[in-house]
Amino acid sequence: MDFMDSIRGMSFFDMHVHMTSRTTDDYQAMADAGVVALIEPAFWLGQPRTGVDSFRDYFASLVGWERFRASQFGIRHYCTIGLNSKEANQEELAEQVMEILPLFIYKEGVVGVGEIGFDDQTAAEDKYYRAQLDLAKEAGLPVQIHTPHRDKKQGTSRSMDIALEHGLEPGMVIVDHNNEETVREVLDRGFWAGFTIYPFTKMGNERMVDIVKQYGPERIMINSAADWGISDPLAVPKTAALMKQRGISDEAIRLVTFTNAVTAFAQSGQLSLEELIQPVGIDQSQRYNGSSILRGGQAPRVDKESTIIK
Amino acid sequence: MSQTLFYLIEQQANSEKAVTYLRQQTEAFQRNPQVATFYRVFTAMPRFVGKQSIDLPADMNFALKRVRSGFSVTGWTLDRLARVWWLLQLPADDKSFYVNTIGQLFKAGELNELVALYSALPVLAYPDAWLFQATEGIRNNIADVQSAIMINNPFPADYFDEASWNQMILKAFFTDKDVTQIIGLDERKNARLAQTLADYAAERRAAGRSLPANIERLT
Repeated sequence: MDFMDSIRGMSFFDMHVHMTSRTTDDYQAMADAGVVALIEPAFWLGQPRTGVDSFRDYFASLVGWERFRASQFGIRHYCTIGLNSKEANQEELAEQVMEILPLFIYKEGVVGVGEIGFDDQTAAEDKYYRAQLDLAKEAGLPVQIHTPHRDKKQGTSRSMDIALEHGLEPGMVIVDHNNEETVREVLDRGFWAGFTIYPFTKMGNERMVDIVKQYGPERIMINSAADWGISDPLAVPKTAALMKQRGISDEAIRLVTFTNAVTAFAQSGQLSLEELIQPVGIDQSQRYNGSSILRGGQAPRVDKESTIIK
Repeated sequence: MSQTLFYLIEQQANSEKAVTYLRQQTEAFQRNPQVATFYRVFTAMPRFVGKQSIDLPADMNFALKRVRSGFSVTGWTLDRLARVWWLLQLPADDKSFYVNTIGQLFKAGELNELVALYSALPVLAYPDAWLFQATEGIRNNIADVQSAIMINNPFPADYFDEASWNQMILKAFFTDKDVTQIIGLDERKNARLAQTLADYAAERRAAGRSLPANIERLT
């Protein structure tokens, strides 16, 4: 059976996906599968940037061009802004990035500071993680934490310890890229637990189903973290379909694929459930006016099967 | 202009909180004119004043045009109006400081900020300093940013040279704007533009595509 059949009519919120690395075909497929909103955390572009202007242009594209691109497909695009852990290690550049962050974190549609945290768990990473926690606290914004691939369990505990040390409420912190080894502590300490369904390196969605069965749907949310690597921008709807197939209730599915993320990030004051259930097409600030015209929030559709291109 | 715009903000329904906030921020900024404060207030404007559409009484519309010929706030939202007003609170006595400070806002602007910034060009100091920026707005690929500089904005008609003007009109047709709302459309007609538009119309016909509305007015 086509996974789309079992989730027809459902709405999804992918709370971590790097759309600047994806094509319009991905946007179209996500919209068709029911993704109505997403969060694009600022991250590493696969190679290090060498100047602060590259960061400025990247942040500006997250609140500008990429948001507009998503709106063409009827998808609401939010973002979190921050200095990622890998590039925190270039200290001279990191200082300059810290200086421009306040220009961006108060912007409309910026729903948190992220993704920040640890990669190699160096002293520089520690320093800029702490500085950005303070920034988030001052701005009243949630924090989206990237947990490390290596030494993950320790790194996750340490990330939470430091967040508490800096006076953040656990309810304002979304700890991302969890697995079977980290989830219990994250939930026990009152933080939100994000899970990335990403082939080979992070979670598979069969394991995800088992986690929801074991821990229930409270404070758990899933995402694709699709980026420039081998990843799947339909990971959230596909996992919803698998959960349904394996007997998880519709209410629980809605919590982990939509509502919990909305509740967590709505604390920014920059998104709300009421807003998300409005069609994006009625937002007159996001009309498309290229050489063809957008109507009702939908991009003009190209028939991929046809050899004729008009 | 600053006073007229503020008066219009005060006239809006349920704007008491917004007005109090803006007064507080102005006093704080005058007491301690930090650029960081100027940026924060500009950026965070929608959180404090809201985004509702403004009511524009006919006498206010008239008053605005008397202060700055061609200037219009028709169809604006309150955050846009307040942002343009806030830009006028920046001291303009030092040109390089003034231009650099506002220039940084253009560099880091999101969609609605850019709309406010381009709308403000006709009321900013040092119009010559914004000429290149105005042409960047026309090169922008987002409809509302293009409209903010093209539509009901007197800046291009007042300051653009012929090449920039023609580029704007061609882009306006190309992106399906309502060109009848471009200020100076008839006054700045010229032979070179007529030729370019005639070529464009021929190209559309050759491709079997329709012609944009009102193009015959300039050819």
